[in-house]
Amino acid sequence: MSQDSAASQSGRPGARPGRPVGRRTGSEWGRRFVEGGLLHGGVQGSPVLRLLLRWVRRPLLPVIRLWRRNIQLRIVVTTLLMSLGVVLLLGFVVIGQVRNGLLEAKVKASQSQAVGGFTVAGQRADSAASAGGGDDNSGTGNSPVQNVSGWMSDLVESLSSGGQGAFDVVTLGTTAVDNDNRGLGPRASGGVDPSQSVPAALRKRVESGTGVSQSYTRIVYTDSRSPQPALIIGKQVNDPNGDPYQLYYLFPLTQEEKSLSLVRTTLATAGLFVVVLLGAIAWLVVRQVVAPVRMAAGIAERLSAGRLQERMKVTGEDDIARLGEAFNKMAQNLQLKIQQLEELSRMQRRFVSDVSHELRTPLTTVRMAADVIHEARVDFDPVTARSAELLADQLDRFESLLADLLEISRFDAGAAALEAEPIDLRDVVRRVVSGAEPLAERKGTRIRVVGDQQPVVAEADARRVERVLRNLVVNAVEHGEGEDVVVKLAAAGGAVAVAVRDYGVGLKPGEATRVFSRFWRADPARARTTGGTGLGLSIALEDARLHGGWLQAWGEPGGGSQFRLTLPRTADEPLRGAPIPLEPKDSRRNRGLNDAGGSRGAAEKAATVPAAPSYDKVPAPRDPIGPRTAAVTPTADPTALPGNGARVVSRPGGGEQRRDEGTQGPAESGDRPGERDQGEAFRGR
Amino acid sequence: MGAEGGGRRRALRMAAYAGCGVLLLAGCASMPDSGDLRGVESTPRQNAQVRVFAMPPHENARPAEIVQGFLEALTGDDPQYETARKYLTESASRRWDPDGSTTVLTDGPNAVPEPTGNREAGDEYAFTLTGSKVAVVDAQHAYTPALGDYSGTVHLTMVKKTHQWRIDALPQGVVMGKSDFQRNYMSVNKYYYASNVPTATGGRLSTVADPVYVRSKVDPVTSMVRTLLKGPTRWLAPVATSGFPQGTALRKDVTTLSPDDQNKLTVPLDQRADRVGRSQCTKMAAQLLFTLQDLTPTGVNRVELQGSGGRKLCELNEERAEIIAAHSMAKQPEYEYFIDGKHRLVRLSASGSRDPEPVLGALGETEANLRAAAVSRNEDTAAGVSADGQNLYVASMASGASLGAAVVSQGASPDDRLTTPSWDGGGNLWVADRDRKQPRLLMLRNGAGKPVEVRTPGLDGRIDAVRVAADGVRIALIVEKKGKTSLQIGRVERESGNGGQADVSVLGLRSVTPQWEKVTAMSWAGTSRLVVVGQESGGVLQMRYVQVDGSTPTGNSPASLTGVKQIAASEDERLPLVAYSEDGIVRLSAGAQWQKVVKEGTAPVYPG
Repeated sequence: MSQDSAASQSGRPGARPGRPVGRRTGSEWGRRFVEGGLLHGGVQGSPVLRLLLRWVRRPLLPVIRLWRRNIQLRIVVTTLLMSLGVVLLLGFVVIGQVRNGLLEAKVKASQSQAVGGFTVAGQRADSAASAGGGDDNSGTGNSPVQNVSGWMSDLVESLSSGGQGAFDVVTLGTTAVDNDNRGLGPRASGGVDPSQSVPAALRKRVESGTGVSQSYTRIVYTDSRSPQPALIIGKQVNDPNGDPYQLYYLFPLTQEEKSLSLVRTTLATAGLFVVVLLGAIAWLVVRQVVAPVRMAAGIAERLSAGRLQERMKVTGEDDIARLGEAFNKMAQNLQLKIQQLEELSRMQRRFVSDVSHELRTPLTTVRMAADVIHEARVDFDPVTARSAELLADQLDRFESLLADLLEISRFDAGAAALEAEPIDLRDVVRRVVSGAEPLAERKGTRIRVVGDQQPVVAEADARRVERVLRNLVVNAVEHGEGEDVVVKLAAAGGAVAVAVRDYGVGLKPGEATRVFSRFWRADPARARTTGGTGLGLSIALEDARLHGGWLQAWGEPGGGSQFRLTLPRTADEPLRGAPIPLEPKDSRRNRGLNDAGGSRGAAEKAATVPAAPSYDKVPAPRDPIGPRTAAVTPTADPTALPGNGARVVSRPGGGEQRRDEGTQGPAESGDRPGERDQGEAFRGR
Repeated sequence: MGAEGGGRRRALRMAAYAGCGVLLLAGCASMPDSGDLRGVESTPRQNAQVRVFAMPPHENARPAEIVQGFLEALTGDDPQYETARKYLTESASRRWDPDGSTTVLTDGPNAVPEPTGNREAGDEYAFTLTGSKVAVVDAQHAYTPALGDYSGTVHLTMVKKTHQWRIDALPQGVVMGKSDFQRNYMSVNKYYYASNVPTATGGRLSTVADPVYVRSKVDPVTSMVRTLLKGPTRWLAPVATSGFPQGTALRKDVTTLSPDDQNKLTVPLDQRADRVGRSQCTKMAAQLLFTLQDLTPTGVNRVELQGSGGRKLCELNEERAEIIAAHSMAKQPEYEYFIDGKHRLVRLSASGSRDPEPVLGALGETEANLRAAAVSRNEDTAAGVSADGQNLYVASMASGASLGAAVVSQGASPDDRLTTPSWDGGGNLWVADRDRKQPRLLMLRNGAGKPVEVRTPGLDGRIDAVRVAADGVRIALIVEKKGKTSLQIGRVERESGNGGQADVSVLGLRSVTPQWEKVTAMSWAGTSRLVVVGQESGGVLQMRYVQVDGSTPTGNSPASLTGVKQIAASEDERLPLVAYSEDGIVRLSAGAQWQKVVKEGTAPVYPG
């Protein structure tokens, strides 16, 4: 857990990293296009395309979100689609079967009818020929049958009279050039237009004399009736003179069409009903399953929000009920355990607080006695005098330790109150620096203040900020090994920051997270006699958190360290970034020194862990590996809490290299706090 | 507890819904066996008539093909024979008048190549069209039966310009086979008013049907209107008058007429009709209405006449037309009459089939001893011929009326005496005396008084039966000559003779059954239709409908009946035929078979 090392809660834990990365990706792509010459002038085209895409996607987004989130919708829609597919398939199969069946029956009946008709036509021709031959009243031997024209009209009339509405008869004269019957025009019954109703292919085939042929056609009528699909059966037969002509039977498929359309509409209606009903059934069924799941999800959400008393409503004995019971049992156990833990923690805090309080009364007495002894130490022998001095010293320590403990316990109990008012941090810094001046002089350290040309105003509790800064400055001086201590102030965006930089031993890898732990010491070997209580930074962290700000540490072994306090300019405003980079631009790494050898990378990593994530981002634009890698980087979530352990996640392959590359990033941007701030701001989202 | 109760209630409700659903489905799943009443709209029957599609001549067609194609094109539906004209040379096409006449042959024209002198030249050819004539339709569209052989010459020549054979000389008019004629033409009655006939009951005019043949597929409405305007056909002209002023025609710009969706026909006339008065205009409209009534499938039931300026002259609907003229029977006959086994006149309700009852009056008495009778068209007077054929009695059909011999025949045997009498629409009684020494046709004005001898100048033979049409101007006679009988139609002309006494004569007699050898019975069966019993030469006895112009009407002939001796039909075509046959009095209703009415009975008649 990170609460120790982290400076304070960052604004939104779930904020997205994607946006800035994505944008960079886009520009990267654009740049590549231009450079590669793949798409000349595509710079203009691609944004338009993107805009269009976005414009199209925008209204869809709620739908997509609903689709992602609503399992019921998904199942119902899937059911609808699948049942629609099944119904369509079924419909096609059934209609195909019905159509084939109808057609088969019709074709059989029609064929026998037509063949009978052809036979009749042949017989009539024969009888007419014999009658004409026998009773030759025309007196001419040349033409045995007088009038083929009239004969044929009669034939068509008699053939078609049998099938009023059921079929029509058409005759066509032969088109053979050497035939006298070429003058014979077409004849048709029932208003059929013969030239358009008899397909040319069938005509050719019949004319070649290959027996009975059939085809499908569309009957065109000479009157106002609409064309109809039909079966046409034709044969070439001879007239009484022995000349061939073509006889066609046309069977309109009107009834079959009607039957088919009846089946079609029936199927369509039934299919629609089936689909709708299946959808409704799926909706109902899924609702039965999803409703408890939703309830469970809601309850779980409320539980996770801390309302531990929430329980599921359990009815019946089915699987859902079992789930609910188990869930409730789990929640109860959790609640119990959490209550126990809370109780324990409360007891501990109470205990610490009580102990601190209880110790103060005897301590006051001891203090008074010690003061008396200390006053009188000149009268004692040296050993005793030394003891008296030690006693007074340790009592001082004990008192401040007790005070710190009380403060901490106040924080723990949530009793700390913020009294924020607009203050100029420069005054605070000045007070702190002047307060630390004696110590600095003793250590031979010079404290420089940078960035105090402008007022750095923020809504803050002056007492607490001063305590934090004093702690930082004193720490810096103490661990500064006589080197300069630089206090840097900056304000940008909605935040102000104070960074305290020393050039002492620095922090070992991993220590940056640990410095904020209670009673942690950089060097355990160091006597407790020196230094503070070990609670200073913890209190400082709590103070920063109370302001809604961050307190972060950076350090490198031998390169010194930097602590940065970032506060929102107005209280209650979430922080988005800091005006000062956590890693100073004069860090060894930034300066390119590599004294840590092979382990440097790892050390660096650890050391910078709590650091502001700023430099994760800044190098990105210059990353030659490309945006893909950058897109992967968020494995170390840049928005994670500063000091969050989550930062200490190994980066993908390019990470290290990139870090090297990115060295200039902070350095550059350090000169321009505004831009830096922007970088931070991105991170903050 | 409450939840449990709610669940049960819900289950109950669900069960109720399910039950309703099952009932509903069960109702849909079987054919209905009861339901509300609804009218059925009849759809006009499609005509399944065969149509000949005339083809223009082929390229390089040979002469025989040209002639055949031309004859074929004559049977097509082109309004002005456009396709047929493509077979002609330009000059021949100009000279040729297809509307002049239509010659109907039994079997269609037969083209026989004619040996011409200079066939070797190769640019001339001739065919003789032969066949046996059935009838000729003249330019007035009047049908006339004809006999004999037909012969016409078609001369072809090679057109120099195109090197195609074309017809350059041909007989005028159109020639075609009988079946083609029946397919392409239809008989329509046009109506005129009988002239010189005393107006029928109620001052209404009496209409005369004038059957003509028009091409059924070439706008029959317009051609009928034009034909009607031209006046009655030549045969009927002396006794019929048209309401239209002489020479009236359709307005020049009118090409086609058709009734609108309300079955109303608007007829624009030229300036000759502009001055007609209201009553004459109504007469004109009535003529149109009667003529067009049955022409289209939906019929025409309103006619509007317009003057040359588009001004509305008058408008007439069917109901009012009936008031103006006695178009069909003035009233439907109430009874059919016959002579029963006791030789008295009995009547039978025309609609029902109740037992016959004797008519009131003397003719209904047993003493009458009749063999034939006729009942006037208003059914209040009857005429009877005594069993020996010697006396004709006329008596009122009122109780107590007595017999009075009006005409006495001097014939030698019963078969040489009086025929069955007949009443015309004006109430005159007609009867023929078959006395071999002095055959005569007699008319009794208003069924009383002294019989007037009717002059029959064109009559060749002895009148064997007489039936007068309701209009009083057409008379059907069975004429016997040398053992052969034929059915002849004549027109009755009346001339005011000396002393106010009308001089009545029957003129224009013509045979409508030239092929028939023997006609035994006949009766009017429509305004221009007769039912005839007889036999063709070499045929058997048969019963058939015949148009007054000699053509055979379309439609079925009545079901055959053996041994039919006498027949009666009403001019109202819906009434059944009644016949006297071997089985007694039998009746044929439309769409049924012959049914026996009574065993004992002869001489069935309808009023008339």
